[in-house]
Amino acid sequence: MPRPTISAEKDEEMEINLSPMIDCIFILLIFFIVTTVFVEETGVEVTKPRIVTYDKLDKNSVQIAITAENKVIYGGKEIGVGGVAPQVRKDLAKGDVPINIQADANADTGLFDKVVTEAKLAGATRIAFSSQE
Amino acid sequence: MSVRSRFQEDEGTPEIELSPMIDCIFILLIFFIVTTVFVEEVGLQVNKPDASSASNLNEDKERVTIEITKADKVMLDGSEIDLTALAQKVKTAIARDREIPVSITAHKDSSHGVFASVWAIATDAGAQGLSYTTTN
Repeated sequence: MPRPTISAEKDEEMEINLSPMIDCIFILLIFFIVTTVFVEETGVEVTKPRIVTYDKLDKNSVQIAITAENKVIYGGKEIGVGGVAPQVRKDLAKGDVPINIQADANADTGLFDKVVTEAKLAGATRIAFSSQE
Repeated sequence: MSVRSRFQEDEGTPEIELSPMIDCIFILLIFFIVTTVFVEEVGLQVNKPDASSASNLNEDKERVTIEITKADKVMLDGSEIDLTALAQKVKTAIARDREIPVSITAHKDSSHGVFASVWAIATDAGAQGLSYTTTN
């Protein structure tokens, strides 16, 4: 009579062993904590120039975008050339972070140069521009 | 008998209620999953000569000057040149003198894409003293 025995067991309080699940979740949690960098994304899509050589840029960089319409964007807002220096100074106060300029391939070099100059005057030492992979 | 049986239960393996902890960890986990951004940017470092170091420029020394015009044309030594030929010329110049300064003079209305290509070519060729300026 195996059937009644099984049903009788089921009537008792069932306990699921949760420890392995907690282990998994802890590992996931630690992974996400370690990999999280709170980067303010630019929020605009730009056509980055295609170039022959490129390096991996620092994940923790301050991202500034220049669109094809020659607008300077930081954190989803248009800040203009004049807004670059105060913003960079604010970000550099937290530590020596690199600056990354995501300039559209059709943006003017003159504006790109102005943004680089502003960032440099604000004290940035590492300035880079983005490209396509 | 009922008292004794309760005692016996207590002496058995104690169980910690883990559910609230799991709830907390789940909330943390979801927060970190949502806020994680995997920014994978590639590109190149740029550097502009400082105003103070401008006096260090040695006029007698041979240098490579690449010009980008308003119409996005790339000029080397006053004549138009395409990007593959430019890469060759820069490489030969660097092969002659490893520390030859390479400077890019871009018109302010030229497009960033051309400037980026020229900068990448010079970096790829191994230029040490690479710098750029803009003109009106």
